[in-house]
Amino acid sequence: MTKLKATFRKTIGMGTLTVMFVVLLAGCSGSNNNADTSNGAQASASPAATESTSTAEPSAGGTFTYGRPASVTSFDLHNQITSNNAFAIDKVFESLVAFDSKGEIKDFLAQSHTISEDGLTYTFVLRDGLKFSNGTPVTAEDAVFSLNRHLTVEGPLAISATVESFKAQDDKTLVIKLKEPYTPFISELSNFSNGIIPNNFGGVSEEEFFKKPVGTGPFVVETWDPAGDVTFTKNTNYWQEGKPYIDKLVYKLIEDDSQAINQLKAGEVDAVEALSLQNAGEIKDGTDTTVVTNGSWVTEQLFFNTLDEHFSDVHVRRALALALDRDGLTKALTFGYAQTANSLLPTTIPYNANDTLKSLNFDAAAAKEELAKSAFPNGFSTKLLIASGNSTRAQEAQIIQAAGQAIGIKIEIESVELATFRERFFAYDFAAMLNSGQADSPEANSILAFQTDPEGFSKSYWTHYTNDNVTKLLYEGQKTPDGDARAAIYTELLQTLADEVPYIPLYYPDILIGARSSVEGLVVLPNGSIRLEDVRVSK
Amino acid sequence: MMNSRQTLTGAQGNNGSYKWLGIALVRALIVILCVMTAVFFLIRIVPGDPAKMILGEYSTPEALKNMHHTLGLDLPLWEQFVRFMKTLFTQGDTGNSIIMGTSARELIMQRAPITLLLILIACVLAIITALLLATVAATHKDKLLDHLIRIFPAITLGMPIFWVGILLILLFSVRLGWFPVGGVGEGFTGTLRSLALPAITVAFSQIPTLVRSLRAQMLEVLESDFVVTLRAAGIPSRVILFKHVLRNSALPTLMLLGVNISYLIGGTLVVEQVFGIKGIGSLLFTSISNRDFPVIQGIALYCALSVVIISLLIEIISWWLDPRTKGKQ
Repeated sequence: MTKLKATFRKTIGMGTLTVMFVVLLAGCSGSNNNADTSNGAQASASPAATESTSTAEPSAGGTFTYGRPASVTSFDLHNQITSNNAFAIDKVFESLVAFDSKGEIKDFLAQSHTISEDGLTYTFVLRDGLKFSNGTPVTAEDAVFSLNRHLTVEGPLAISATVESFKAQDDKTLVIKLKEPYTPFISELSNFSNGIIPNNFGGVSEEEFFKKPVGTGPFVVETWDPAGDVTFTKNTNYWQEGKPYIDKLVYKLIEDDSQAINQLKAGEVDAVEALSLQNAGEIKDGTDTTVVTNGSWVTEQLFFNTLDEHFSDVHVRRALALALDRDGLTKALTFGYAQTANSLLPTTIPYNANDTLKSLNFDAAAAKEELAKSAFPNGFSTKLLIASGNSTRAQEAQIIQAAGQAIGIKIEIESVELATFRERFFAYDFAAMLNSGQADSPEANSILAFQTDPEGFSKSYWTHYTNDNVTKLLYEGQKTPDGDARAAIYTELLQTLADEVPYIPLYYPDILIGARSSVEGLVVLPNGSIRLEDVRVSK
Repeated sequence: MMNSRQTLTGAQGNNGSYKWLGIALVRALIVILCVMTAVFFLIRIVPGDPAKMILGEYSTPEALKNMHHTLGLDLPLWEQFVRFMKTLFTQGDTGNSIIMGTSARELIMQRAPITLLLILIACVLAIITALLLATVAATHKDKLLDHLIRIFPAITLGMPIFWVGILLILLFSVRLGWFPVGGVGEGFTGTLRSLALPAITVAFSQIPTLVRSLRAQMLEVLESDFVVTLRAAGIPSRVILFKHVLRNSALPTLMLLGVNISYLIGGTLVVEQVFGIKGIGSLLFTSISNRDFPVIQGIALYCALSVVIISLLIEIISWWLDPRTKGKQ
């Protein structure tokens, strides 16, 4: 019996140990996640070839190694949205038009494009001599096939315009007909998800094709471990002559933040993606390292669940907005790598109205008056949901907590693991939360459609904010051609949001890439991707 | 005591050995089954949807529904469990990776060599260092050297393993540039150079307990009657130490290493993350953030298998070294 007992005890002991270990690791992994990934959709496209940072004669060759926090799991451009895949897809596939580092739309694979007066017909003429990386010429049929597949797949960055037809008028001319005007269309075409792939996958199966993708981009996939690194080689058929300058590009998976920083400092990688604000100073001041930066399409925000008993009251939301010193918060937390937000749209997006908008600025007395008008004049207790593992958000939460305290709103901070955080806000299981919104393309509609349409998929970014006039303006903005009329619509829309504050825009963070000083010509795009056609590494 | 006397006299014979081995195997099987069941249900309790990981968090409800169906996640939990167990027994696999499509076993097998090499180097390092330190401590009992060596475990036991790793990186890689910061270099020497710091880190977590155990054992043997007799017979103390004392003290330490094996594997997986080594550890972390159930279950399976097999081996070796220990662990 004693022996049996001992056997049993040991069995239990060993099993428990192993299970505990796996569970412990599962628990730890939460804090290892970059909590920032709960942004709005992330997108990318190859940029226009305009702004090389150096004019010196480039020295060709060499390898550029880029440290990234997540591996590339798929090259299927029509089915992907997250940055780990998008920023690899945009090295292989390119679209008809592309945005540059300023977010301006330029012709890319198309040498020119025209939009008919009624906004229904788009005509693109392809560049001369365009070839895929395997040497096959690119024709308008390839574009028709690519866009049709995107339409059928209905991926996460689906084509939102109501398309009547994609047609190849001849080898070089593509005509797109829409059923109704949709102004954001041209901008959305610059998404990586509208890249051009060979007609019929170049004769191989879909599965085969995306294992060894063929595109027009500057790089070709050489080896790819879906749970590790990707090695690209230079596309020798690239249409921008002489580019890219480097021979080889390595996407090196480095999941641990401090490991990435140390590899950069030791020169084992040439650059690291998504440098955190806390590490920026150290890298900027390093003897061999520097920070390459650009404005982003991201707005960091405090979101209110307008179905919540307290935050359904507009006076409560306004009171908290007035109690919060957004300027101070931005200065304290972002180390100079962000601008205080005045509107929902970052300054990198057209029609942002940042300069003209009257938003609720810090005014403690006005905040108390506003709360007095609400159904809770003496204050109340509530909770603020944040994802763990992001120290900047944790600090933001504390500043908001203090601001609430000053006017009698007691805020308890609830920090949960990233996946739990997502499940909670998708289920409206929050009173207030910290998160960010990100545009997919340089288009006002990109953020607005996601954050103001109560009937849309995201139900006004799960705030369920509903204002019929705002919804009407949103749809009008989509149909109105670019120009003053469209500007007026968005200004009115943004002013309503600033008055009713379903979310408080806090700041627009910059995108930070840590790089070795030996790197030249690296261009950071506002979506977080980088452009490498012009990059050179002097070793 | 009855048992050991019987073993010594051979009363149990071969039948006893088979019986003992049979019990050990059944016990191993039970451990594996319990671990697999627990891991299966526990990772499903943790929030997070693999379908959402594949399609992105803003995927449409219809797309999610289809993906759930494709992945078999729309089935009742018990049915998923039955399917899982069936695949486990018929194919010896935990299924295909949800994110990468390939078999979990294949993915694990690709990553296993580097992890095993790291564990091996760490073990060798730990044993050699522990032997040296313990011998010095035991032969200098209550002198300064002994005190210094005894303080060492007291200090190091409290250090988190990842922190030791980061310190080593900062000093030897970033500051001095002697070793790579992370990853695995090319070729034999490149690999060894890259694994040096991680192996030291893992070994570091094992050395204190090993030194403590080995020193105590050696002191016990050094003070035992037979050593006194050997000394009296004029056998040189070096011969006594290496031929008799160390050999007799090694067993408990070996057993301790066996018991520690799950900590050793765990420590290695964490250290892989700190040093950016793409072994089983980094695969586990990625799979957990992706909620890639089959891969997590696969890694749990192989970890449990390793722990069970190594414990079994240690038991067999101990028994072979000293038959009195049979069934006594």
